[in-house]
Amino acid sequence: MAEINPDFIKLDEEMSSRELDTSPIDLLEQIKREGRVWEELSEEYGVENPDPPWRINLESTCDQLANGYLSPFNICRPAEQQEEPDDKKIDAIERRWEEDQLVSELYSDVPFPERTLLALAHTMIRRGILSEEELAVQMKKVSDRLNMNDGVYEDEARSSVELAKAENQ
Amino acid sequence: MSKPHYDREHHAKMATGIGDPQCFAGKAPDPKFKVGDRVRVRDLPDIFYTRTQVYTRGCEAVVAELVYESPPAEDESWDNTENVEWFYSLVFKATDLWPDYHKTFSKDTIETEIPEHYLEAV
Amino acid sequence: MSDIKDDHQHPPAAMVDEVSEFEILELAVRELAIEKGLFTQEDHNQWTEYMHTLGPAPAARLVAKAWLDPEYKELAVKDGVKASLDVGIDWVNSMPTHFGTPSDYCNLRVMEDTPTLKHVVVCTLCSCYPRPILGQSPEWYRTPNYRRRIVRWPRQVLAEMGLQLPEDVEVRVVDSNQKSRMIVLPVRPEGTEGWTEDQLAEIVTRDCLIGVAMPKPGVTTNGPRPVRKAVNPYHH
Repeated sequence: MAEINPDFIKLDEEMSSRELDTSPIDLLEQIKREGRVWEELSEEYGVENPDPPWRINLESTCDQLANGYLSPFNICRPAEQQEEPDDKKIDAIERRWEEDQLVSELYSDVPFPERTLLALAHTMIRRGILSEEELAVQMKKVSDRLNMNDGVYEDEARSSVELAKAENQ
Repeated sequence: MSKPHYDREHHAKMATGIGDPQCFAGKAPDPKFKVGDRVRVRDLPDIFYTRTQVYTRGCEAVVAELVYESPPAEDESWDNTENVEWFYSLVFKATDLWPDYHKTFSKDTIETEIPEHYLEAV
Repeated sequence: MSDIKDDHQHPPAAMVDEVSEFEILELAVRELAIEKGLFTQEDHNQWTEYMHTLGPAPAARLVAKAWLDPEYKELAVKDGVKASLDVGIDWVNSMPTHFGTPSDYCNLRVMEDTPTLKHVVVCTLCSCYPRPILGQSPEWYRTPNYRRRIVRWPRQVLAEMGLQLPEDVEVRVVDSNQKSRMIVLPVRPEGTEGWTEDQLAEIVTRDCLIGVAMPKPGVTTNGPRPVRKAVNPYHH
């Protein structure tokens, strides 16, 4: 087996000393407190589908973020070796590890898939991929859009199941 | 270390229509072990990323199958796909892995896949 | 829409008539990611469409076919990817990428149970799952509780799920830690003599394919599986 590059060993030490920041994020705490989870909603409205319509979209997002064989530990590299800032992928295994930890510390009372969604947002914010402020602004935009259309709207990313239900109305 | 240059299209070019790990078939040197061999998992230092579980380190197992050739995940995560090696499916006895596993169930086993460079002959 | 029955007595499908903060959050995260160039809307749509096609039916059919045809069973055990083609699943080419998904790869292994060997599948590292042939993984499969405990205390965890095995049966926990993805080919149960492929496929539930349940005539659904917290604090 090839010699281990001494630079890698140094980075490894840096990585091992890196504690995952599990401090709560205000915006996400608010959503956690006030957001209605699918378990509740589906029961109230008598919908049998065990998953919210956005569940597969979330899975897709997670897969898209992992869609690269390259630089999973970019954030731990010295600055001169890091990828350009606009290439912020999150390796699947790293994302899952962070999710496990975040759920255990902050989101253990939140059911699936809401807990995965909160953990993903949390990871992205802590890694600097997006900021809490940006997320709040975008949420407001989305909320305005959705509520204006009374829940029936043309978003090509909506699942075809949801579109079918909308057509049935 | 100079700044690495990644060819983002590399994997797609090589694997399209063929599949991964199929795209690495025939690229590894001759396998060191065969079905039925007893091996031990080496406790190599982990540089960031490993898929060889901590619970297997230092434990003996029997080779059940030679599953495929591939660069080990530890290298692939650094975009190093030059070192292709054989991957083995190994069967460990539960009583070897866990000292307090009850002897009543001494037949129980765990099967998992480990690349060649983690293995040594027993 | 031609498969929706146009029955005047049929009540309109129930719909959740409010927008939750979570729904908004999912969209916001996705839209920001697209805005920042992490991926494109087109890629996301394509992936989502593909994911919607996935479910456990093909894997159940693979097992049913294997039970009825010893040659197919041999093929399934020897070359899971080739056998998958016969149930309409192409691990290589039907993915949007045409070289397998980064998370699922292209190496299906069909683990054959015998009367004295029972397989159960886990991914201790992160919950990898054979999605192309089995669909999305259930929540309990993803929890540290399951992943950590099934390798350590398989019989206890299986008993909690309603499966107890005699001591002369080898319980083999298969940890899919690399590029292979596994489904279990359970032993064909008694009381299914003369059954058709459809009838057999119906009793091969997702839980049977993961290995935490055994197929039984009359049982066509998965057991309830509450998601439990792991007791020990998380550390690598």
